[in-house]
Parts: sequence; C-alpha cells; structure tokens
Amino acid sequence: MNLTQDQLANLVGVRRETIVFLEQGKYNPSLKLAHDVAKTLKTSIDKLFIF
Amino acid sequence: MTIKKYQKIKLIITVVLAVIFSQSIIYKNYLIPLTSLIIASLGMILLRRQVKEVVADERDYALAGKSASWAIQIYSWIAVAAMFILYSLKDLNPAYEPIAMTLAYSTCFLMLTYSLMFKFQNKIKFTRDKTKFLIFIIVLSIFTTFFTLRLFSGEDNWVCQNGQWQKHGHPDFPAPSIPCK
Repeated sequence: MNLTQDQLANLVGVRRETIVFLEQGKYNPSLKLAHDVAKTLKTSIDKLFIF
Repeated sequence: MTIKKYQKIKLIITVVLAVIFSQSIIYKNYLIPLTSLIIASLGMILLRRQVKEVVADERDYALAGKSASWAIQIYSWIAVAAMFILYSLKDLNPAYEPIAMTLAYSTCFLMLTYSLMFKFQNKIKFTRDKTKFLIFIIVLSIFTTFFTLRLFSGEDNWVCQNGQWQKHGHPDFPAPSIPCK
C-alpha cells in the first residue's frame, strides 16, 4: 500500500510520531493498535510485527 | 486548526497566565487571575475542538503515566528532605515551621490524590463492582471536606487581643510576626 506516515496515523487514530516509533521498533503498541495497523495495511499482526 | 498551531497558542496562553498570576500576587489582586484562568480554560476547550488531528494517543498516555509517577516521586523526595531540614531549623527561625508543615501536607495530599486516581482508573475502568468504590469515594470526600474545613476554620489560630497575640485553640505554628494592633 502506498500510504504516508501521516495518512496511516490518521487511519488508525494515532499521532504520526507513534508510527515513526513503531517503524523504528522503539514502541510496543497495544493489541488494539497493532490490530488496527495490520487491518489498515491488509496484513496480519504476526507478519507485520516481528518479536 | 493544526496541532502545532494549537500547541503554540497553548504555550502563549500559559506564558500570559503566568505573567498575570505573578503581577496579581504582587498587587494582591486575586480576582483577575481567577477570571483569566476561567477564560483561558474555556478558550482552550474551544480551541481543542477546532483541532481535527489526534492530539494525544496511547503512547502519550503511557508516557504521561510514567512522567507523572516520576514527577510525584521527585517532588515527594525533595519536599520531604526540605521539610526535615526546615523543621530541624525551626529554632533559628520560627517561620520555617509553617513552611515545613505546608510541604508535608502538600506531599501527603499529592500522594493521596495519586493513589485515589490510580484506584479510580483501576476499579472504575476494569471492574464492574463500582458501588463499593463509589461509597469509598463519597466517604473519603466527606472526610477530606471536614478535615479541610477544620484546617481553615481558624479554630486553632492566633487572635489579636489588647495589642497582643493570644492563642485560640492549639495552633501548631508560631504567632504572626506582624504587629498586633
């Protein structure tokens, strides 16, 4: 998907900085946010986040 | 309105409020700061509604929780240390005692409020057994109100009589240093 950080942040209801930290692996999201991001990006949580 | 513009306006309002407060205290006017605080709060609420972006999210709330906890601990340690130092020096200057007492009471109040808010968030949001907790809150509020009224009732105070400060009740602070007329 061709989304900017701002667009993704607006779609999942968080600030852009949170998306930046998520990308950098510096923030562990709540299950709800992880689910929302995965749903928006049309993928699954386990594919999106590597623990 | 963008969030950056909102934050800039918020900062400006805070600075203006600080100036108004400091000047009002100097001129002993308490109506202007109170009025300006109410107007500023209402203005901020109205401005907040104009912001369409997300102002705070779960990461901010998590950080806010940690920051609040740290701030309370730092303040408490400093206040308690200052309280002990001032209380031990009360013989040098009797004015230190009320300052020490104010620090002690404010620390206790801060910790009590934090514990209460933590319990409130925990119980109200995550359990269905709200009745007992609400009763506890009401009882505590009544107790706090009575305690506050007792504290500020002037029962234990110094009264000016015949040109001398006389004890009224059992005040735990020294007589005022200003002349009794």
